[in-house]
Amino acid sequence: MDLLLTLVSAALIASAIRLTVPILLTALGAVFSERGGVVNIGLEGMMIMGTFWGAAATHFVARGFPEFTAAHPNIAPLVGILAAAFVGTLFALIHAVVSITFRVNQIISGVTINLLAAGLARFLNILFFKVSTQSPGVNGFTPISIPLLRDIPGLAPLVQSISPVIPVALLVVLLGQWVLRRTRFGLRLRAVGEHPLAADTLGVNVYLMRYLGVLISGALAGMAGGYLAIEQGRGYLEGMTQGRGFIALAAMIFGNWWPLGALGASVLFGYFDAFSLRVVNLRIPYQFITVLPHIATILVLAGFVRRAQMPTADGLPYSKEEE
Amino acid sequence: MSSGARFFLLQIVALLLAILFGALIGSAILLAIHKNPLEVYGLMVRFNLTRADSIGSILYKATPLILAGLATALSFRVNLFNIGVEGQYYIGAIAAAYVGFAVTGLPRAIHLPLVLLVGVAGGMLWALLPIVLKLRRGAHEVITTIMMNAIAGALVLYLLEPGILRDPAQAGTPRVRTPDVAPGAQIPSLLPLIHLLGLRVPESSRLNWLLLIGVALCVLFWWILGRWRFGYEVRAVAQNPDAAEAAGIGNQRIMFLMFILSGGVAGLVGLSDVLGYFGYYDIDFPKGYGFLGISIALLAKNNPIGVIAAALFFAFLDRGAQGIQVFAGAPREVITILQGLIILAIVVGYELLTRYIRAQRKREAQATPPLQPAAAPAGAGEGSD
Amino acid sequence: MESPEHFIELRGISKRFPGVVANDRISLEVRTGEIHALVGENGAGKSTLMKILYGLYQPDEGQIVVKGKVVPIDTPRQALELGIGMVHQHFMLIPRFTVAENVILGSEPTAGGRLAMAQAVQQIEALTRQYEFVLNPRELVANLSVGEQQRVEIIKVLYRGAELLILDEPTAVLVPQEVEDLFNNLRRLKEQGKTIIFISHNLEEVLEIADRITVLRGGAVVGTVPAAVTTKAQLAEMMVGRPVLLQIERPDVPAGDVRLAIRDLVVRGVRGRPVVRNVSLQVRRGEVYGIAGVQGNGQTELVEALVGLRPEAAGEIRVDGEDVTRQTVGAIKLLGVAHIPEDRQRRGLVLPMEVRENLILGYHRQTRFTDGPLLDLPAIDEFAQERIRAYDIRVPTTTTPALALSGGNQQKVIVAREFAFAPRVLVAAQPTRGLDIGATEFVEQQIMAAKAQGMAVLLVSANLDEVLSLSDRVGVMYKGELVAEFRHGEASPQELGLYMTGTKQQRAGAAAGSP
Repeated sequence: MDLLLTLVSAALIASAIRLTVPILLTALGAVFSERGGVVNIGLEGMMIMGTFWGAAATHFVARGFPEFTAAHPNIAPLVGILAAAFVGTLFALIHAVVSITFRVNQIISGVTINLLAAGLARFLNILFFKVSTQSPGVNGFTPISIPLLRDIPGLAPLVQSISPVIPVALLVVLLGQWVLRRTRFGLRLRAVGEHPLAADTLGVNVYLMRYLGVLISGALAGMAGGYLAIEQGRGYLEGMTQGRGFIALAAMIFGNWWPLGALGASVLFGYFDAFSLRVVNLRIPYQFITVLPHIATILVLAGFVRRAQMPTADGLPYSKEEE
Repeated sequence: MSSGARFFLLQIVALLLAILFGALIGSAILLAIHKNPLEVYGLMVRFNLTRADSIGSILYKATPLILAGLATALSFRVNLFNIGVEGQYYIGAIAAAYVGFAVTGLPRAIHLPLVLLVGVAGGMLWALLPIVLKLRRGAHEVITTIMMNAIAGALVLYLLEPGILRDPAQAGTPRVRTPDVAPGAQIPSLLPLIHLLGLRVPESSRLNWLLLIGVALCVLFWWILGRWRFGYEVRAVAQNPDAAEAAGIGNQRIMFLMFILSGGVAGLVGLSDVLGYFGYYDIDFPKGYGFLGISIALLAKNNPIGVIAAALFFAFLDRGAQGIQVFAGAPREVITILQGLIILAIVVGYELLTRYIRAQRKREAQATPPLQPAAAPAGAGEGSD
Repeated sequence: MESPEHFIELRGISKRFPGVVANDRISLEVRTGEIHALVGENGAGKSTLMKILYGLYQPDEGQIVVKGKVVPIDTPRQALELGIGMVHQHFMLIPRFTVAENVILGSEPTAGGRLAMAQAVQQIEALTRQYEFVLNPRELVANLSVGEQQRVEIIKVLYRGAELLILDEPTAVLVPQEVEDLFNNLRRLKEQGKTIIFISHNLEEVLEIADRITVLRGGAVVGTVPAAVTTKAQLAEMMVGRPVLLQIERPDVPAGDVRLAIRDLVVRGVRGRPVVRNVSLQVRRGEVYGIAGVQGNGQTELVEALVGLRPEAAGEIRVDGEDVTRQTVGAIKLLGVAHIPEDRQRRGLVLPMEVRENLILGYHRQTRFTDGPLLDLPAIDEFAQERIRAYDIRVPTTTTPALALSGGNQQKVIVAREFAFAPRVLVAAQPTRGLDIGATEFVEQQIMAAKAQGMAVLLVSANLDEVLSLSDRVGVMYKGELVAEFRHGEASPQELGLYMTGTKQQRAGAAAGSP
């Protein structure tokens, strides 16, 4: 009975939503990249860079301008998030150049990015902070409470004292859905992922669209990492991403390559994450609970949950002139 | 010079250029931290080539890399991305350690092969689910194998809990490891043979026979993939699955076999430590061979013989990283970044080169006169992948 | 408003690719309001020229003059701005999008970034009314017929204000009735002042619809003639430079016993719907049975079932009396069923592999090519050299990769391979697609040779002329069923066209194959 109550408690759900955010943002990024036709396995690496640079930038701003930070405590974490998104975009640029312009296999390009990011994170941490696996602690954003909802009893843990990034993330996802469905950019991006040659003959710049999709995915993955480090971990710790960059891909597939679908899937995975952190007294060894999201991912991919339809040209490089 | 030889040389040039690219960026990084790149590189080379213990260390480091590279390359050869070598070797290692310490009283002639086979079987077992899901349900093996890695990590952590596989003799210490394996399960040291060959390698070296097993496996697979009918079918499936299917080649069978073999070889990766020098499985043993294996396979263009060279190169760099950290005060992670950059440069370089070669071959064939003379030369296969 | 006499003028256009001159100083003019046909063999340079006109390629030399002004055309967008619109042979449509989305892509009406779909639909409906096309803008393209999809392609260029329409092989995928519909549409467009360039292989159609015809050969213009004063034979001669046998000689071989018997074959496609429905036919020793029909009516799946790529098929297939219905591809090959696949690069060859390796593909398990688990390279090489000689395959060495060969030589490799092991049945699917006249002749001669050698030949081809001239009997497939069967000379192309579109149907019993 205790277990059941725990499962649906507001506290757990609040925890789930907090943990959902990194997966959600990255999954949204994955949607944009793959809708354009580019598989991005390197999101994990971009997220890792986001965690490092998010923490590092926040730390340096806070340390460099202590009085200013005391007066305006939200600036340092904001800089951190922006820096994280920026570096994520830079790494996405590498992936874009290698896989779009040079047409290297997209999986190989992504895997290489991950290798590079892991090594770079370690190196930079040593360079900046003298130790290899973690940064100094940082303070996050001032928690906010959502104005109207906070007065509803029972909803308290969900809407009071939450990170401002959470509602922002939600808005970004909704924006993403609208952009993909109803704007010119969204139509062209989807066209490029379905039939790049057709789009090309109509004057759509296939390369540009694909680049944009990949860059957006890098920015979002970086931002996700930044949030993870600043708001959850309160600092960078090696390995803190725990494969979320890959779980985000599963969320994308589960969500049928639409942002709203990815939202639903991410919440589910976040729920598993939250559950694994809280339950210490169960008979099941804790190690297995920590890999619940990973098991769920395999089930999703095996199609036991639903059959999905990916963009037709996903994963295939495009070249203008026939060889 | 025949076009085949020319194309091969071009590949070597591409390789060298990629290494140069990595070295240049590495130099920039070194300069940024106030180190002289030439000094650092020079020290690295001297450290590796002049110290007596370096050769032994390089060969020892290369052992798991050769196996990991081969394992990854085998799956890449059928266009499958086995990113799960990491998890496969955890399972292989702990399974081998278990059979190594739990079974006693067997002579080495039986125990050692048994334990090696258990390692292989462990790796194969861990590769089974991803390949079955891929072939039956279309589940992308990149993500499933990465998930299996995480699950393997959790499983091993669990198995090393006290009361399960943890060595009770270590109670009270921070060591988390299995009990020692029986002496009959240990892989013999390679030192006697090395000394027989006249190489000066100190007694403290951990070099063992797994190195030769790894090299032998590479040569074996190179032979099979190049000269066997099976290798021909593997190439057909990789290069054009539709045509292979229409030719009656069982694509799924081939993909399954190669992937399982990949997992099996992966199972051996950790055994250099487990059955070699240390004789137990420790939670703190080096991790990350799986991802290094990917780098090596890419560098070697999935050629099993190339894997040996690439693994030695990476081991060389690894050893050098130790040296520059101790003697030049430069962090060893510079080398990690160097490795990543080289791989990045090489995948772009190989791609461009492949396209250039194809265009060249097309041009050659178009300038052909009719009817061939009877003595048309049957050259050895042109630089194959 | 007065429009210049020449809508387009090409002056000295040249374009080179590595190893080949695609366009060689081409000069021609297209008059406003005319239907101008461009004919030539494969590789004559028609596609390249049109791609230059449409902005997908840039010429190495020469000028393009549009309505009297010299202009560069660097992108398709620029071409469209000049009023030039391309209707592609292989439709550039996105099946998962609607008609409207496909039409507006790249020129979307927007309200500050947001798509104005309602407006788009209105505009498209106006166009379809104006030109009397029948099309629903909200329908998914995946649900449209081939003829309807082609109309979407045409609306795409009209939507963008095209005055010159370039149609690249538009009739290749249409049946005679749809061709007539298309020609009517073209005539209506011409009435409204549009100019049309019409690229085709089909000389009869070209003579019917065009005002003037330009012939290309080897990248250069051979001549431009008014359609009214020229003949098929004259055009063909201009195309190849020598008199061409428009009729192939059929050896007189008495039909023998039944070698290939298909009974009630059912093959299911996506979502379990049958794409081959109870097809029954028989082919005899020394007989060529041609299957006519527009692509997409089950022919592909029928061929796949015959060679073993559809083990789940229901019904019965017998080769020389043996039941092969549920056998594997390898087993069927061993029984002597040779296969020339319709997509040679996808199904017939492994392009990166050497020519000698491709020459044994599918037959590589034979003991003559193996030595235990190993390949016997000297034996393979010897075999390859013999095949190269016998079929005059143009290739520098036996180890050259197949991707380096021309289309015709690639097809020769496949033919050389499939004929090498004394097959009993030959299944040839679209064997001359994409080949020039010389290679086409060669392949057709090989089919006749197969017939003379006593094989049972099943020929599937979308080229009606080819099917009619080579076959002893012709069956028509429509929507997965064999709807008609005729002996050589019994039916005209027009009549076959009626069956091909389901307009007419023989009684079910008559299609069950009788000599």
